[in-house]
Amino acid sequence: MSNATVVVVTSGKGGVGKTTSTAAIASALAKEGYQVCAVDFDVGLRNLDLIMGAERRVVFDLVNVVRGEASIKQALVRDKKLDNLFLLPASQTRDKDALTEEGVASVINELRMYFDWVICDSPAGIERGATLAMRYADEAIIVSNPEVSSVRDCDRIIGLLDAKTKVAEDGNRMPKHLLITRYDVERAKAGDMLATDDVVDILSVPLIGVVPESKDVLKASNVGVPVTVSDENSPAAKAYTEATRRLLGENIPVTIPEEKRSLLGKFFKGRAA
Amino acid sequence: MKFKGKSFIAIVLTPEPPFPDWFKEIDRIIARSPGFFIDRPIILDVRGSKIPIDELEDLLGGLTQRSVRVMGIDGVAGTRLKPGMPPSFSGGRLTSDVDVPEPAGEADRKSNGAAETAPDSRTAAKGTGKAAKSASAKATEPSKINGTSKGDGGEPVVETPSGPASFTDGSSIVITEPVRSGQSILHPDGDVTVIGSVSSGAEIIAGGSIHIYGALRGRALAGVSGKDSARIFCSKLDAELVSINGLYKVADDFDGTLRNVPAQIRFENETLVFEELI
Repeated sequence: MSNATVVVVTSGKGGVGKTTSTAAIASALAKEGYQVCAVDFDVGLRNLDLIMGAERRVVFDLVNVVRGEASIKQALVRDKKLDNLFLLPASQTRDKDALTEEGVASVINELRMYFDWVICDSPAGIERGATLAMRYADEAIIVSNPEVSSVRDCDRIIGLLDAKTKVAEDGNRMPKHLLITRYDVERAKAGDMLATDDVVDILSVPLIGVVPESKDVLKASNVGVPVTVSDENSPAAKAYTEATRRLLGENIPVTIPEEKRSLLGKFFKGRAA
Repeated sequence: MKFKGKSFIAIVLTPEPPFPDWFKEIDRIIARSPGFFIDRPIILDVRGSKIPIDELEDLLGGLTQRSVRVMGIDGVAGTRLKPGMPPSFSGGRLTSDVDVPEPAGEADRKSNGAAETAPDSRTAAKGTGKAAKSASAKATEPSKINGTSKGDGGEPVVETPSGPASFTDGSSIVITEPVRSGQSILHPDGDVTVIGSVSSGAEIIAGGSIHIYGALRGRALAGVSGKDSARIFCSKLDAELVSINGLYKVADDFDGTLRNVPAQIRFENETLVFEELI
């Protein structure tokens, strides 16, 4: 019997990398030996199953469980590579109204008993799906791109995390971690993006990692293997692994990706990041 | 002959079924503070409830029995009202919540309390009095404050001093955390101090001055209750809009040299004066 830490991965804006980050961090945690469950809250637009390569083994889903049509154990899908990593998929045929607050509470509470970490992939937006995903979380990972629109949406989400979650209603403060994704080294150099310092300054949330924009991530998503498993040595995978270790409480400095076109990199003509 | 416009703050009562329970709540307030409803303009808000006229009549009867005189009804077309009923009202905009009187000790605590105590007082007020609304013939407030009192994300830290008699006693509130995008701090009675930044998309509305110990990236509206002498201070000016007593300026019209520096903004000769704080 363990008592899991429930983490919500959220951002407000779509397309910033919530699902990719959920998969990468969940896998990295599992590789550390923890019992991990990734929960897809994006009912109606599920993707986490694809990114984790579990789409062909989904039988029951979150909505079935919330409605009592299936047990959690029936709905959990075990990862192909990591024995201690599970996915609770979202329903693709329903919409977010199918989720109820009580149902989500009971699912999360049950998951807490089986796992060490429960990572909830929040849908974009600030509506029901997103608020339910964060409702029972203990901690939050705020995913932002270094773009003004993304940062503002994150700011809005942080406001909600401090107002509408169970933790906040109990008068406590939810620990938050900022994960900057799709950081483009070249654009950063040219000054086309917000600097990481500015993002941290605007959001006033401690930085947990900076993940470079990378072909490895896209490739990993398309083959359905999280980047932290498929290509451990890619810069993105390293950034996620580092972020995960920081989530676990290790005190290591955040590496800001730099242009590291080594001789070898040039040789392969590929962009290292 | 001249017609004048004047705006007043009315208490808006929103009956919530079951009505007997709602009346119990009203009775509880009257028991605690017998004068609470006397000589106050009161609007009955039945918007969205599609209440049958007979039930409305019963409601009004119940209120009359308790000496609560309703001056208008919001949410029912005038043509549906029976003769003798108060006239139909519409429009109006939300202002801050009116605090329901509390037993003496608690009231003290609340009026001294900073932003943190706001959620309590809000729930107290919500049960019954709900929000005060300005029923105005001619709006004197800047149009900017429309519907700002309830940003869903934020705890809209609405703190009005308790005690039924006074709406304004110049109290100030202190917010000790960053004000996030989408949040709205409304304090029509006095100064607002924020220790932290005010994000893009957030807004502070104060009857008095606004002090921000951090970056102002959102909107700041000071002196909204008609106070020319209100000022806005911030450690870093990167605002979207600033306004004092209804006179406003958007970021595009700011003097570029004052961007990202500590600044104050004051009202002088019908213009906004921006000054760097050294």
